[in-house]
Amino acid sequence: MMKVQVKARNRAFGFDTGVGESVLYSGLRTGVALPYECATGTCGTCKAKLIEGELDDQWPEAPGRKYLKSDQGEFLMCQCAAKTDLSIEIGNFVSEATPGAVIPAKFTGIVGGSRMLTPDVKAFTVELDRSTEFDAGQFVAVRFPGIGGYRGYSMVNFERRTQTLEFVVKKLPGGGVSEWLFDNEPTGVELEIFGPLGSATFYPGMGKNVLCIAGGSGIAGMMSIFSRGCQENYFADHQGYLFFGVRTANDAFYLDELAAFKAKHPENLHITVALSTEAVTDEVKAAFPGLEFDTGFVHEVAARKMKDHYDNIVAYLAGPPPAVDAAIRTLVLEARLSADSIRYDKFS
Amino acid sequence: MSLTRLCRIEDVPKDGMQSFETESGEKVLVLSSGDEYFAYQAICPHQEVELCEGFYDGCVLTCHQHLWQWDVKTGAPMGLAETGLEFYELKIEGDEIFIGSSSALDVASLFEGVSSETRDALSKLARVESYDEGSTIYQVGDAVQDLYVLESGRVEFQLGRDDRVSPAGFILRKGEVFGWAALLSDQPMRIARATCKEASSVLALNGREVLEALSKDPSAGYRVMTSLVHLVTRYLASSGAK
Repeated sequence: MMKVQVKARNRAFGFDTGVGESVLYSGLRTGVALPYECATGTCGTCKAKLIEGELDDQWPEAPGRKYLKSDQGEFLMCQCAAKTDLSIEIGNFVSEATPGAVIPAKFTGIVGGSRMLTPDVKAFTVELDRSTEFDAGQFVAVRFPGIGGYRGYSMVNFERRTQTLEFVVKKLPGGGVSEWLFDNEPTGVELEIFGPLGSATFYPGMGKNVLCIAGGSGIAGMMSIFSRGCQENYFADHQGYLFFGVRTANDAFYLDELAAFKAKHPENLHITVALSTEAVTDEVKAAFPGLEFDTGFVHEVAARKMKDHYDNIVAYLAGPPPAVDAAIRTLVLEARLSADSIRYDKFS
Repeated sequence: MSLTRLCRIEDVPKDGMQSFETESGEKVLVLSSGDEYFAYQAICPHQEVELCEGFYDGCVLTCHQHLWQWDVKTGAPMGLAETGLEFYELKIEGDEIFIGSSSALDVASLFEGVSSETRDALSKLARVESYDEGSTIYQVGDAVQDLYVLESGRVEFQLGRDDRVSPAGFILRKGEVFGWAALLSDQPMRIARATCKEASSVLALNGREVLEALSKDPSAGYRVMTSLVHLVTRYLASSGAK
């Protein structure tokens, strides 16, 4: 065990860290709310400055390093482990975790089973070594054996306390984990998991109408949000709008599950599948009478259909970074939503 | 005020923005809003992102990274933003835009929304003090007189005495206020030590004189006290003290 001393703008913290353990994860699991968003090396939010000690950078090519001033000792807490006791500095306010929040922890998980949802989208479940709580909209960092660092995956399911997590992955050419997942049968494989993470969360207590805009596998967290909303009868007196963007009808998945949400609250749920490169066929339309289909990029379709429905809205965004950026731009500039009613975790 | 030429009016799109670099390497963002032009720091005070990559609708500037927002007419923070933007005096001569230098007092969130007359009165009270690296601005137990606004540099705080001190954070942003006990009547002694970790320049204002100036402008006094409560609770919530 080594010690990490953190000097933040408002105060100091200390915590222990293990060999090879990310500085970020060791702080988070001891209840120090260190700054982060992706927790997996891409967003740069967890940057800190090394004052004293030696680091082991486990992913020197991490894309998030482009936000760093390396000549001034800056590093990504999510990717670096301590080789000696550390003294580091964070240019932000840091607090202890809010009372009642679920403190993230390390888990071991076994892949329970997987199924193909489309030719390039796969869903899989993971059985954790013990149960955990998480909030709808959160994700965990997952490390597959022999394939580098952690990747972030949002939970698709929602149960207050559970040992089973459900994920969805899209095949990315050249993506180490996704290629491995598609080329192999992952059932029975043991994974390292850290979480739950992320602040783009939904609580029934917030009393707002819900707008979800998701591209591709970004639908995962939205499924969790709609599951919780439906389980707790939230949509009996709140509106829920969901826009799911894919290229073609063949790329769409979870349509049965989305139709089941709609069937529970036909008046108040409005679910649209946006196809970016084709118009929907009558056949697909007939198969899912509860769902609406539209053509265009998901943020454009959402902008068109949401006009005059932005009252008392909180918006959740997820998907490929360009899609999320376009949706943010639309919500800020056209819908004039206040920034604190737009929730997403940055993955770029 | 000495003026620096920055750009031509036509370089800034109508109701748009453009960033420029001065000869001394300072990055300045110029925004057009109706018939007016405004100049601010070009880098987001949150995480050093270029603000001109963000969104601007002619009134509100949004950083695209974490959606901090500012009112372009005043530089005041809106929504999620925790601090205002550093503001430059801007003058138009012919078809060219010139900027002056900005004062830490204008940037300080403590004095946000205060009328320009009262701000001028406060400016007159401010003394510029320079400290070398390693020097102490105040010690635990020192009598409280002045309130400080950081101009440049870096100031760190420690609580406690002798070998039982614990770090209580640091400030480095222009316009950040510390030593605010000077505005409280029942706080005669410093409870933290303020040390300069770099050569630093601060504006020092006598607390009693500030209160006197504010008593002549009750609405300004109310705003400053509201901001002070925000400032103090933010540190209390995190058990540091400045």
